[in-house]
Order: sequence, then structure tokens, then C-alpha cells
Amino acid sequence: MIRAIVEVTVRGILGRRRSLLVVLFAALPVLVAVVVRIGGSTSDAVSLSADLLDALVVRTVLPLVALVFGTAVLGSELDDGTAIHLLVKPVERWRIVLAKLAVAAVLTIVLVALVTLVAGLVVGAGRGAERIVVASAVAVAVGGLVYAALFLALSLVTSRALIVGLAYVLIWEDVLGGLLEGTQAFSVRQYTLAIARLLAGDDGQAINVALAASSAIVLSAIVLAGAFALATRRLASYEIHGTD
Amino acid sequence: MTPTGRADPVVELRNASRWYGNVVAVNDISFALGPGVTGLLGPNGAGKSTLLHLVAGLLRPSAGQVLVGGRSTWRNPTIYRSIGLVPEREAVHPYLSGYEFALYNARLQGLPDPPGAAARAIATVDLGEVQHRPIGTYSKGMRQRAKIAGALVHDPPVLLLDEPFNGMDPRQRLHMIELLRAMAADGRTILFSSHILEEVERLAQEVLVIYAGRLAAAGDFREIRRLMTDRPHTFTVRSSDDRRLAAALVADASVFGVELFDGLLSVRASDFAAFTRALPRIARDLGVTLFELHPSDESLESVFAYLVRR
Repeated sequence: MIRAIVEVTVRGILGRRRSLLVVLFAALPVLVAVVVRIGGSTSDAVSLSADLLDALVVRTVLPLVALVFGTAVLGSELDDGTAIHLLVKPVERWRIVLAKLAVAAVLTIVLVALVTLVAGLVVGAGRGAERIVVASAVAVAVGGLVYAALFLALSLVTSRALIVGLAYVLIWEDVLGGLLEGTQAFSVRQYTLAIARLLAGDDGQAINVALAASSAIVLSAIVLAGAFALATRRLASYEIHGTD
Repeated sequence: MTPTGRADPVVELRNASRWYGNVVAVNDISFALGPGVTGLLGPNGAGKSTLLHLVAGLLRPSAGQVLVGGRSTWRNPTIYRSIGLVPEREAVHPYLSGYEFALYNARLQGLPDPPGAAARAIATVDLGEVQHRPIGTYSKGMRQRAKIAGALVHDPPVLLLDEPFNGMDPRQRLHMIELLRAMAADGRTILFSSHILEEVERLAQEVLVIYAGRLAAAGDFREIRRLMTDRPHTFTVRSSDDRRLAAALVADASVFGVELFDGLLSVRASDFAAFTRALPRIARDLGVTLFELHPSDESLESVFAYLVRR
């Protein structure tokens, strides 16, 4: 059952023009990395990799890719009406959410972790930055999962999930996260950076994050479980209205 | 309104209502259905889709109960082993072929042989020739049949269809009527909505008439048809001498009112059949020539409104 949902969802997502744009957008850090490498920057490769991955991947590409996939896996089917064929089946709602989350998370993780590795290695390969690059890729995978769950749940809470999700990323995480330290406890970006710092060992000093790694891991698990539970609950009570 | 009473109903509504804020979409409806075809008849906006969605467990009843096989349909996904739903909205995954869509439905139902079930469903709805084409390239009628294949794939004992004949050509319509009749003869409970009286007449033994969210009539179709026919009718008549004709008509037992206004003779008949026999006789006896006779309240809306007022 879950496999059938996954297969149809993947076909639906990959067939959309928006997905091609997401892939092109996600490739942006690689392009910048190539420019930086060709430019022959004299900065420390570890710091350079950390800055590049923080600014372009964790702050920008990761949340936006997760936002597009997370809100599309179920939200687009609810919007266009095709979800009705899934909802009138004897499938427990948590299984539907699990299948949809698997698609959103795997697409996000594969795309963004790959971009992290490629961009990071373009800048730092052979210059001692391999560990921070790999650590960042793993952290991005965790962040991608949490973001995908959050945005999937959001698509079941509001029909304007893209706008609300964008506001969360740009206003809550970006603006308020820089001004009010307390908001960082509710920022998936901070969780991602804290986990990357932990995994990078000594090189992690180059990653600027205030949140402790242990807190980041616990909070990531709480947000993931909470988003999953919320999505399941919302889907179980989801109403499809008639046309008359 | 007396609901269709049954000792062991398959589909049952008990004082079910559904409202949105101050708007009542379905108003205190009770009925019970058993095997056979039941038509849900009503004009657009009457609440047919809302009612079907309540039965299908896609809407929470604001009040009352909605049961299929004695179990509540709201927040009860297991009920979908027993229900097949053909929604009115055309939304079907455009990138899947008809066969893939039926297969998807069969897999979601957890059937032991999804490919076999999908192939049977495709054959049942006569979609074999185009089964491997993407649904996005289908005509409206083909998409409708693909949806029906998806709903039939697990051979459900209860089939709910929302305006199932939309977009079908006459041959497909006939095929679908025969299919639904055969399924009903096998003991299935089929509830389908339509705003077209003739569609319901051709297929349904029983009918639920819904108007403005209320159940206006329920029961045997012939009985409802008789009520519709025997209701007071209003006709507009043009003749060579409207005044004399009006005076004679008002004395006839089948007529309970005449009105001459703005050069038009309007007649309200209490007995449709008796009036249509009496009018030519009276006109002939008076030597009055009839130029035109047409019913002025024959829209379904007026028929439904009458049934609600009864």
C-alpha cells in the first residue's frame, strides 16, 4: 500500500514543471562553488566551505526545496482533487502520511545532500575541508527530514502552506533568528547547523551556531514526531466538500 | 417525510444534518437503503453531493448519524472495503493510464491480485482500447469510466456515484445503465445522484428527492412520479376566445383557478390527466379554437419545490 502511494506520488511530483525549477535552483551552490574555486580564494578552505554551506545550502536551498516538496506531496493532491481517490481507501491515515513524508524527505535529502557534497568538495576537496563537508551533508539530511515533516503538516493545516512556510523561513528563521536568540530553539536551520558542528569535530568551530547539539537532536526528534502526529490527525479529520 | 423504512438497511441516515456556519446544506435527513438502485434526484445546489460525501465518510455530520452496514462512516477508513465512490469532480491523476489508475486503486484496497482486479475493472467499463493511454488525454466520458473502474475494482457491496453519466455519450450511458442494473441484481446497494429526471427514471427503482437540503420525497419511483404528475399544474392557454373559455373551464372539476391577465389565460389544474382530457372537449363544445397550450411551471425546480411544500 505504502509503495503504491510512494510510486504515484513520485511520478506526480517529478512530472511537474516546478520540480525542474527546484532542481535548477538547488544547483545554485554548485555554481557558486565553481566560481569561488576558479577565483582562487585564499581563505581557509574549512571556513570557506562552512560559510558557503551555511549561506547557500542551509539558509536557502534546504528550506526552500523542502518547502516545495513537503507542501506538494499531499497538498497538491488535496488542491487538485485527486486526493479523494486515496482518502476513500481502507488505508490508515498514518500510513498515508508516512508514504508522503518518505517521498518529500527522500527527494529533499537526495537533492540537497548531493548539492552539499558537490559544492563543498568543489571548494574544499584536497584542502582539508572534507570532514566539514560530509558532516554538513549528514546534517542537511536530518534537517531535510524535519523540514519536510513540518511543511507536510503545514499543507494540512492551511491551504496557503507555501506562503506560511516561506514566512517561517524568511521571517522566523532568518530575521527573528538573528535578532532574538530564543527563537533559535524553534528553528530547523539551527538544528541543522548544530548537528553539522557536532559531526564536524574540530572543524565544526567554523560553523557559527549557538544551540547545543544535544538540544538540536532532541528538538529535531520532537518537531519530527509532532509534525507527523499533527499531519495524521489533520488527515484523519480532513473533509472534502461537495460541489452542491 | 417518511423515510424508506427497512429492517436491515445497508445505508442509513438518521436525522443527519450538515451545516456550514449559518448555511444548512443537508437538513435533518433520514432514510434507509437496501440492495438495488436508488436515485438521488434534485436540482443543482440541492445538496446531493454533500449528502453523498456524508455517506462516503468524507464529511462529518453536524448532527445525526450516517451508517453503512451499521457502522459510522466518519473517520472510519475500514468502511472503504465496502464502499466504492465515483466523485463528480473530474480530478484523476493525468499522468497515469486508465489501467494504472485501476491498478493503483486495487493496490490501495490491498487486493490479493491487483493486476487481475484492475484488468477486470477496465473490461467492465469498456475502456480496454485506451487503457494504456494517459488519463490526461482522455475525453470526459473516458475519464468518467476510469473513475468508475477505480471505484469498482474491489467489487464493493455499496457503490456511490455522483452524477455518473456526466460527459458520457448515449451508447456509454446505456452501457453504464446496464452495468449498474446488473450490479444491483447481484445484491449491491447503489446510490447515484442526478439532476436529470429521465436518467433516474431509466435506472432507479427507488428515489430520494432532495431540494434545498431537505428530503422532499422518498420511495418507489413510480409513486414519486405520480406525485409529480398529480400535483397542481399551471398552463398558459391561447385561444380564439379566452374569456368564454375561462368561464367554462372554471366550472370544470379538474380546474381550481383561472386568471386572465395581460391578454394571457392562465389555468391552474388540480388534476393533470383530467384537465388534459377536459380542455379539448370544452373548447370543442364552445366552438373555441385552441392556438397554444403550454405548461408554465414544468421546471424541475418547481416540481421539487412543490414536493417540499407538501
